[in-house]
Amino acid sequence: MAGGHSKKEYIVVFFVLTVLTAIEVGIKYMHLGRGMMVAGLIALALAKAVTVAMFYMHLKSETRSLKLIIGLPMLFPALYAVVLIVESIARSAFTWKQMVG
Amino acid sequence: MLPRVSDDEEPSPAMSQAAELQHPASGAEEFDFGAKVSSSGKLGMWIFLLTDAMSFGGLLLGYAILRSGSHDWPDPSQRLGIPFTAGMTFILICSSVTMVMALAAAQEKNKKGLLLWLGLTILGGVMFLCGQAKEYTSLISEGAGITVDNMWATFFIPTGFHGLHVFTGVTYLSVIWVQSARGKYTDGPNASANNIEIAGLFWHFVDLVWILVFTFIYLI
Repeated sequence: MAGGHSKKEYIVVFFVLTVLTAIEVGIKYMHLGRGMMVAGLIALALAKAVTVAMFYMHLKSETRSLKLIIGLPMLFPALYAVVLIVESIARSAFTWKQMVG
Repeated sequence: MLPRVSDDEEPSPAMSQAAELQHPASGAEEFDFGAKVSSSGKLGMWIFLLTDAMSFGGLLLGYAILRSGSHDWPDPSQRLGIPFTAGMTFILICSSVTMVMALAAAQEKNKKGLLLWLGLTILGGVMFLCGQAKEYTSLISEGAGITVDNMWATFFIPTGFHGLHVFTGVTYLSVIWVQSARGKYTDGPNASANNIEIAGLFWHFVDLVWILVFTFIYLI
């Protein structure tokens, strides 16, 4: 174990995750614009995922070599996902425009 | 491959010797920048989770591309029970905090605490599976199914694989619970919480994936 985790920290993280989840569900029903809603939900989900990895999976107190082995290989799948989704949205907006006129 | 292995359970004499011999000038240790040490078991679990993340990423990416190319994708809240699933999400968050409390108990050599918190973690996993079984049966009885349309396909496949991960975790933690009851992780001078931490890595990852599945498939 890498040291430096306390039970108090675990409980604080639990409340943070619970509150962020409640905010997510709230955003769903707040009737925001679709873009705002999607951006907010993705930001909150990523914040929660990073919180779990850092504090519950102890990534923040791991060795630098382990952080490198995990972090660098995750960067490219993430980039890959972003590029594919952006391309897919752009293509579908383009074909929709052509169909509607 | 790993420069040092120190906190595996029951270190062999050769390994403890190697741990005693460690000093910064030794060439084999150059890759480990700090004074801290990771176990080979932990590295193995992390590498597995990294590749498993890519598998889930593939499922979610397939969903994202089908959805962004569609102009009549239904709002998931018309088909799925968001409040019920929010409750299931909360159960998984609870089971993550009980898992880290189990680790803390094991590190304090507190066997009773370890068994209690680990037991609650397993209970959370079982409750999640029951919730998912209830969700699936009611959706299917209302006419949902993998082959009905793309929305249902991209709902059942990622959530189904996630549920199977929860089942894997429940099985894994149950075995660890029995070993804990025999004192493997708390009793004696060689007892180490390392295997509890590794099992926890898997469990938290399953929670982490659910955070993304809940947001992308249920909410957005």
